[in-house]
Formats: sequence, structure tokens, C-alpha cells
Amino acid sequence: MSATAIDYSKEIPVIEGTPTAASLDELITNPIESFPQRNWLIGIAITSTMLMIGVVSLGWLLWKGVGVWGINQPVEWGFDVVNFVFWVGIGHAGTLISAILFLLRQKWRTGIARFAEAMTLFAVLCAVQFVLFHTGRPWLAAIWLLPYPEQHGVWVNFTSPLEWDVFAVSTYFTVSAVFWYIGLIPDFATLRDRAVSKIKKTIFAVLSLGWRFSNRHWQHYERAYLIMAGFATPLVLSVHTIVSFDFAVSVIPGWHTTIFPPYFVAGAVFSGFAMVQNVLIITRKAFHFEYLITMDTIEKMNKIMLVTGSMVGYAYIMEFFIAWYSGNPIERFVFINRAFGPYAWAYWIMFTCNVITPQVFWFKKVRTSLLASFILSIFVNIGMWFERFVIVVTSLSRDFLPSSWGMFTPTIWDIGLLIGSFGLFFTLVLLFVKGLPAIAMAEVKAVIPGAQPSHGHGGHAGNGVHHG
Amino acid sequence: MANPLYSIVATFKSPDAIVEAAKKVSAAGYTKFDVHTPYPVHGMDKAMRLPETKLGFVTLAAGILGSIGMISFASWVAAVDYPQVIGGKPYWSWPAFVPVTYEIGVLLAVLLTVSAMIVFFFKFPNISHPLHDTPYMKKVSSDTFGISVQAEDPNFDEQKVRELLQSAGGSVDAVYYSDEFINFKPKLFDPKFIALLVGVALVASAGGYITWNKILYLPPYDWMMEQFKVKPQSESDFYSDKFGMRMPVEGTVARGFIPYPYKGKPEEAAKYLVNPLLPTKEVLALGKKKFLTFCSPCHGNFAEGNSRLRGQFPNPPSLHSDKVRNWPDGSIFHVITEGQNVMPSYQYQISREERWAIVHYIRTLQRALNAKESDVQ
Amino acid sequence: MSDHHENVIVPKKNLPAGLVNLGWALTVIGGVLVALSYVLDFQRALHNNLIGFALLIGLSVGAVFYIALEYITGAVWSTPFRRVTEFLGALLPVGILFSIPLFLNMHDIFLWTHHDVVSADKVLQNKTPYLNVQFFSIRFAVMAVVWLFFFVVFRKHSFAQDLNKDQKHTRINIKFAAAFIPVVAISVSIFGIDWLMSLEPHWFSTIFAIYFFIGTIVCTLAVITYLVVSLGEKGFFFTGIVEDHYYSFGALLFGFLAFWAYIAFSQFMLIWYANLPEENFWFIARWKNGWEYVSMALALFHFWLPYFLLLSRPSKMNKGNLKRTSLILIFAHVLDLYWIVMPTYYPSPVFSFYEIAFPLLVFGLVIVVFASQSKKYNMVPVGDPKLQRGLDFQL
Repeated sequence: MSATAIDYSKEIPVIEGTPTAASLDELITNPIESFPQRNWLIGIAITSTMLMIGVVSLGWLLWKGVGVWGINQPVEWGFDVVNFVFWVGIGHAGTLISAILFLLRQKWRTGIARFAEAMTLFAVLCAVQFVLFHTGRPWLAAIWLLPYPEQHGVWVNFTSPLEWDVFAVSTYFTVSAVFWYIGLIPDFATLRDRAVSKIKKTIFAVLSLGWRFSNRHWQHYERAYLIMAGFATPLVLSVHTIVSFDFAVSVIPGWHTTIFPPYFVAGAVFSGFAMVQNVLIITRKAFHFEYLITMDTIEKMNKIMLVTGSMVGYAYIMEFFIAWYSGNPIERFVFINRAFGPYAWAYWIMFTCNVITPQVFWFKKVRTSLLASFILSIFVNIGMWFERFVIVVTSLSRDFLPSSWGMFTPTIWDIGLLIGSFGLFFTLVLLFVKGLPAIAMAEVKAVIPGAQPSHGHGGHAGNGVHHG
Repeated sequence: MANPLYSIVATFKSPDAIVEAAKKVSAAGYTKFDVHTPYPVHGMDKAMRLPETKLGFVTLAAGILGSIGMISFASWVAAVDYPQVIGGKPYWSWPAFVPVTYEIGVLLAVLLTVSAMIVFFFKFPNISHPLHDTPYMKKVSSDTFGISVQAEDPNFDEQKVRELLQSAGGSVDAVYYSDEFINFKPKLFDPKFIALLVGVALVASAGGYITWNKILYLPPYDWMMEQFKVKPQSESDFYSDKFGMRMPVEGTVARGFIPYPYKGKPEEAAKYLVNPLLPTKEVLALGKKKFLTFCSPCHGNFAEGNSRLRGQFPNPPSLHSDKVRNWPDGSIFHVITEGQNVMPSYQYQISREERWAIVHYIRTLQRALNAKESDVQ
Repeated sequence: MSDHHENVIVPKKNLPAGLVNLGWALTVIGGVLVALSYVLDFQRALHNNLIGFALLIGLSVGAVFYIALEYITGAVWSTPFRRVTEFLGALLPVGILFSIPLFLNMHDIFLWTHHDVVSADKVLQNKTPYLNVQFFSIRFAVMAVVWLFFFVVFRKHSFAQDLNKDQKHTRINIKFAAAFIPVVAISVSIFGIDWLMSLEPHWFSTIFAIYFFIGTIVCTLAVITYLVVSLGEKGFFFTGIVEDHYYSFGALLFGFLAFWAYIAFSQFMLIWYANLPEENFWFIARWKNGWEYVSMALALFHFWLPYFLLLSRPSKMNKGNLKRTSLILIFAHVLDLYWIVMPTYYPSPVFSFYEIAFPLLVFGLVIVVFASQSKKYNMVPVGDPKLQRGLDFQL
């Protein structure tokens, strides 16, 4: 016990070993500056095949219209909205790691922040395609989505949660992209100065916006980063909140419940962390980042999954309880129907994967096992996908009027697009880890041992110290 | 080197050394100097005596601008310019505008903060800088800490600076303006560059125009044209006689439709039809409205046959002729229903009640032009 | 280099006499007013007693929650101030005592205890398996025992560590903290539903428990911040407190109050938007006959005013500003409870000495209990292994 016990009087190092800044550069830029590994090529072959399946499904969808999907009365929202909510949720982990953990000064985020932010962008892209194509004719969607002075004098409806979604998701994507890019600027400058070929040098020189590591710039840069983190934090909450409003402002039983906003946010973080965990474990292994992304980081991710998973479980139980407590027979029916009706299998997959299996993360052995973390994270993703399925489909399939009840069955085009979205996501992730520094070099350098002036309040003139 | 000196630089190996060096340089009264570190070093702003950054004010202003702008816009759209009742709520339902207001506030705050940082504080585009592409820059971009005291500093004295930096423990070097930097000319007004911009603009607008106005009306984007429904006059494989349109079943009458029994029988119409309406105020108002809509284009506003179409068609007759005045109501009704000469049938445009209301109105017009003594009283 | 803090830690034990006297004065005045209000208007006194009870339980359970939160997150910046939460937790038994008048007079508070009303109402009959006096009392008794148990365990190990400096106490407390988090989530939810949501037995809202919980969390943090800043100013902790510590309090306060606004707005928006008669009456009751001004004041004092007071970075470190904002937030939480409880009984807002009596008593007790605790125990967890890191904390 005492051999492995943590010494609480010492900080857990963010990075194992004592790398130098130059060796970090070597390690992190290695994937970018070397020829792809065979595993990477196999990986991208698989993911781009999946992507192609998606492209074919999309082509057929555009040719024939949304009738090729399984949606119909009364289940008018099917895989499109399920996948949209699922992918937007995946995106939340990135901003959470890069912004919220930044504000909370969790230094362990340093190794994975860049990575998670990129996953945010890709996940939001995956999500956007579903909402865009479920409009039927997306090339005309600008007319009914964006408030521009249209010749008929018609304006968009600012009272509609679907319109809020347009604003929320596009703002979220823009802010995440800016945040990500700003974080990349110093690393682009490092790559510029490392580049040997003229073309690479020019590209990185343009991308780095003339960055020259000046402290007069760092000063504004750090403040801007803090401000952006401060904005991204409530933004990430607002996005899934607004997604939850799509459902919760309606009067459909099972959709209209006030706990939806925090419940959706917790679920989004939960699924996002699971996805980051999956990709992280593979990348860490493939590029030998074991010393940068430590076991402690993985354990902390698992702890957050345990917390958010339990929050989601709290929401499930609270919904059930209040449905009973409300005394409203229709509310009660909807929840009984979820758990024991025709879609009970989906409900129990959701409940098992989201609430029950993550409970094994209570054990430190499981939290620090790569294999267990990987498998459980996959379970979480399955469970969270089914959560959205349960919410969207079961509530619609059982309406107030038994005469208008119906079932939803996906077609192969639904499934093809789902596969395609995974293909798109992982293809982009693979391209990213190969083309850009997957770990923020400037940030990691700042947290290695000895990177900061030996503080001590005598260090900088003691300006902050009172009653000395 | 013939080129002028840009700055004296010194590199250090540890963050403590660079903080000390920065303190020394700023204490010696230099203002045009800069510290270059591969990552932000804590306490450097104080060591360099930099004032607090003003970036936060930009953010605050932008956030307030974005939120107030958006809630005003949403309010104007929903309550003033295009009011609609949604969910039984008042036009100005402010809680529903909170999400968009919030999002735009955040969007503008972030974008303007970043733009302000890049444009005002980084003085973008400044890709061209004397320090770029020097061995010094290559070192500080990886693992070395550097300080650079510029020659343009009013207190600058090369020897003194070198001594100062050496005493701080740095390895000292000098950076000169490069030939490229000196010979660099901004290419903003280069004709080639302007031509490029114009070309891009042309291609973008032409592409946009063609996409939205032409391509979207070609297959497959025009599939609204081909729908799986029966169109008027079109064939259908569903029925054995291949007619898409069907006749009503023998002996049935459509809802709300009373068949006209005097088709082609004007005499019988004149004999048997009686105006079922009373000439009340409402009926006359309806008749006037319908008369002005359907009859006046040819017969004129007062039924005198003097509309602006006069001369372009066979002249429409005045309805004040003795013939029409002496017609029974049924005859006028019959003419409206069936048409006469070039006048078409109006039975599909004007309902039965409306036709009778028009008859009343025509009678009123006739009476107005040939009023009797008793009418004046 | 920074080891020199070790020898300047001289935890003072007696709080400033002025503060202690103020605490006693508040307690005595509040106690007299409470007694007076029970004599003059028994019903109204009970309703205010409920507010005071919810306030005190929220404060003490919130304090225990903060102890657990520090252990579970491994936070170091707050370690030097952990005793503040450990002292405030001692209000728990006092809070439980506040429930006695309520339990004795449940018929005057809860509509669902009226047999004639319930027997005539199908919806309320459906709820009787949950809303009945026996189960209600058992729930509260179990929660009280569980809270007290965790409070005692945390304190035992924390105080023991002062003497033996053994890291095993930290390890054990982390385990208990992990167990306490789900316990507090469930128990505070049940507390909120039982004592506040069921006042209007027809009304239901799944987010209400979270709304109540986050309100108490904000209030508890405001009390902690106020105590830390005002005692820290007078040098009651040690010399190592720098702006960075204060900034953390300010930032946390800012984050929590924004989160409160988010939860409050979500609850309002969803009910307003769907406009279902079985839910919206709760908000309608709070938007007529003068209650709308209370609702607006709540938004102002619980969100807008403190939000802008804490918005900028320097303002989060400014000691005067932190104290002011904490007081505003404490007031706002009392107002929040008033806004939840009172519209149930009074069609338009009532305000008199009845409404002041209980908050005065509660905050008097807060100071008195805190003072007596600080006399008995160290003001700083001197044996905590994280203490030095907490003192060295930098942003």
C-alpha cells in the first residue's frame, strides 16, 4: 500500500520523466515529419471506406429525397436527429477539456487538449451534415435558416428552438475553430522554423501569422486564450441546452421535462469523454506519447466519465420519479412504455451502458487499465447513442392518440449515413494526427519540470503578497 | 555587413535567467526591447514592466454590442416587421429571444477579441519581420529563451547593451535587417494582385448566380416537377381507360354544389328564376364588390359600357339599355352564369349567392340612372 | 524556497470580539423576534421557520459538500481554508433542531397532510405513497443521520491529522468523499422535493431539486468567501494568502451564480414555453399581485448585480468587492427561499419583522457557532499534506 500510495504533499506530474523542450519537439513533430506508418495506412483505408458508404448513401438521399429514410408519421424524426444530437454531444468533450479544465487549472488537460478540440470540430461537422440534409433540400436551406432580408419580406422565426439551434451550432463551430486555431499558432511557428522544404515553410509561415514568440504577444495571447475559455465554457453548456430545448419546449410527454438542459449537457460530456478516451488510447500507443499522456490523465478521464454517467443516471431516475409523482397518467404511461414497451430493448441497452457499466470505474484497478477503459468507453458511446434513440423515437411512436401510434424502422440508407459519419469523423482524426501537432507543444513545454521560474513569492518582487 | 542593425539579441538557457535579464534591461531604461520564449513564462510581464492588456475591454464592448444588437433585431423582426402568433404567445416574447441573443453576444465577443488581438496588438499582417528566419528565431521557437534590444531604442548604445546582456549571463549576437526585408514592397496595389482579386470576385459571383438561378432548376434538383401524383389531363395506368381524371359517379352531386337546371334555356331561366336574396345593405355591398371585381373591367364601374377596354374588344354593352332594364332578374343571372356572345361563363368564379347579389347591385345602378320622382323623396 | 511559510502559520483562535458580539447580538435579537412572531402570528412564524430551516440545512450540508468536494477533486488552493467549511458544518445539528416546530405543525404547512383535500383530489391520492407523514419523517431522519455521519467522519480525520500529520487520513477522507457525493446528490434532491416542491403538491418540475441545490451551494460559498476574506484581511489564516486565492473564490462564485441563472432560466423558459396548465400555475402565482416585483428582484440580486460585480478579472480579487458581492448573494438566497415558500400561502408579498426574525437568528447562529468552533480547533489544517501546496498556489 505505502509503496504505491500517493504522496499528497506533491503535485502529480503532468508528464512522466524529465524531457527537454527540444526532445518534446522531436517527439510531437515526428508523426508530421515522417512517412506514414503501415497501421495508419490500414486505418485510413478502413475509415475512408466507411466514409464512401456514407457518400453513396448521401448521394442516394439527395437524388431521391428524405423518403429513403425510415421516417414517417408519427415518427418524423429518426436517425437524422438521433445522429445529430449524438455527434454534437461528442463534440462537447473537446471544449470541456480545453476550456473548462483550463479555467479550473487542471494541468493534466495539456496533453490532450489539442486533440480533443480537433475532435470537437470534426464531431460538429458530422452533426451539421445531419441537420442540414434532414431539411430535404439543403441548398435552399439558407432561405429558411438564416435571417437575411428576403424579397418576400419573410423573416425566420426567432421563437423556434430549431432556429436557436442554427445559431447555437454555428456559433459553437466558429468559436471552437477559432479557439483551436489560436492554440495552434505558436506550434505553427515552431513547425515553420523546423521546416526544411520551402513549400512547408511558406505554408506554416502564413498559418503562424508571423508569430515570433514575443512576450509582448504572449501577454495578449494568454489573456485572449483565457477570455475565449471563459466564453467557450458557457457556450458549450448553451449548445446542448439548446439542443435539449428542441425537445423540451414541446408538449410531447417524455420530451417536455425541465431537467433536460443539464441532463443533456451531462450526457454530452459523458459521451464526448468516452470518444476522446477511445481515440486517445490508440494515438498514445501508436505515436509513443505514453510519457505525455500519462496513466493519471486516463484515470482522470475515467473519473469524469463516472461522474457524468452518474449524473445521467440521476436524470433517468428523476424523470421516472417525477413522471410518477406528477400524477399525470400520460406522463406515467410514456415512461412505463420506455422501459417495458416495444422499444424496451433500446432503453435497457441505454441504461446498462450509461449507468450500470461505468460504475465499475469506482475501482482503481479498472480506471487504470487501458483495455477496460477502452471497452467501457465504447459501451458508453453505444449507450449514449441509444439514449438519443430512446428519447427521439419512443416518445414520437406513442402519441396521445393510440390511433396514431406507429413504429420506426431504419432503412439501409439510415444505417449507411451513420456508418459514413463515423467514417468521416475517424478519417478527419487520422488526417489530423498526421498533419498537425496532436499535442500542443508550447503548452506542454510550459508544464515540464523546471519550465517556470522557480516561484517563491520572493521571486517576482512579492507584489502579490500581503502582510509580509 | 552593410545592412543596418536591427537589434542585439542574447539567448539564455533557463527561465530564471531570462526573467532576471528582462528585469535588468527594463531597469536600465530600455523600452524598445522584447523577450522571446517558446511558451509564456510566469512573471515576465512584471519583469518587462508591461502594462496590463486592454483586450478585455474589446471583449466587453463586443459582447454588449452583439447581445443588444441581436435582441433588438429579433424583437424588431418578431414584433414589428413580421409579426406572427406562435404558440399563442405575444409577439414580443423575450424569453424566446434569449438563446439567440446569447449566442450572437458570444460569437461577436470572441471574433472581435481575436481580430483585435491579431490586428491591433499583433499588427497583422507582419509575417515579414527582421527576426524571422534568423538562427535566433529558430532557437527561441524550440527551447531557448531570448531577449532582443532594438537599435531604435532612444537609449540604444551597442556596446552598453552587449555588456549588459553579457553580464546577465547570455550568449550575445546581433541581428541585421536582411536584404529581403529592406527590398520588400507591399504588393497590395500590384496590378496582378488586383487582377487576381477581380478574377476571384467574378468567378465567385458568376458561380453563385449560375448555381442558384440555373443549376438548381435543372435535373435532379427540379424533382418537385415530377411527383407521383395525378396531374390534370394526364394519363394514368391505374385505370383501365387510362384517364387520370375521373367523372363523378352517375347521379351524384358534389357537396355544396347545386346543378344549374336551365343550361341553354334562357327563356325558362327568365320565367322561373327568382332572386332569393333581399336587397339589404350587406347584399348590396357584396354585389358591389363582386361587380367591381368581375363585371366592371368590361361593363365599366357604373355599368355604362365605358370601361378602359372600350375599343380593344367588341364593345361591351351598357346595362342601362331598355332591354336590360326590362329583363327579369333571371335573365341577368342566366347571362352571368352561362355567358353571352364573347362574354364567358362566370359560374366557376362567382358563387350562386354572389351572382344574385350582383343582380341586385345592377338593379340599383339602373335605378340610380333612371330615378323616379318617388325615389327623390 | 518557499518553505518559510511553515513557521509563520500561527492560527489565531479567538475571532475578533466585534464579530463575536455581533453574532450574539443577532442571535439574541433574532431569538426574541422569533419568539414574538410565534406568539403574534403562529402560522406566519411557521412559514418563516421553514425558510430559516431550509437556509440552515442548505448552509450546513453545503459546507459538508465543500469538504467532500475538496477531497474528491484534489484541490489544493482551498486547503488552507478547509476549516471554515468544517466549522460551518457544525450548524447541521442546529439546522435539524429547526425542523422540530415544523414537524409538530405539518398540517399548517403541507396541503397534502389535509385528509379532506387529498380524499377529494385524484392527483393527490396518487401521490400518497410518497407524500405521507410517516415516510416523509423517515426520509428526513435517515438523511439527517447520513449527513451527520459524514460530517463527523470528515472532521474526525481532519482534526486527527493536525496532530499526527498522517497522510492516511487524507486517503480515508477521499474515499468517504467519493461516497458522499452521490449521497448528497440524492439526499438534497429529496430534501428539496419534500420540503419545498411539495408545498404546492400539484406542481412538479424535474429540475427543481437541482435548482434548490445550486442555490444553497451559491449561498454557502458566499458565506465561506465572506468569512475567508474578512478573517484573512485581519491575518487570521496566515501570511501566505495572495490575490490568487481570492481570485479563485471570486471565479468560483461567479461560475456558480451563472450556473444558478442557467438552471433558473431553463426551468422558467421550459414551463413558460410549453404553457401546460399543470405546471405554469406555479410561475403565474409568482408573477401577479406584487410577486412579480419579488421575482424581478430575485433575478437582479441573484444574477445581474453580482454577475457584473464579478465580471472583470481585477474585481474577482478585490477584497471589498468580494465581501460586498457575498453579502448580496446571501441576501439573494434568502430572497430565493422566500420566493419559493411564501407565494404558496400569501396571494401578495408580505413583509414585516416576521420575515427578518429567522434570517437574523440563522446568521447570528452561524457566527456564534463558527466562533465557538474556532476557539476549540485550529483555524488551519496544519497537518494536511496539501497545505503547503495550497499556500504556494499560483494561478
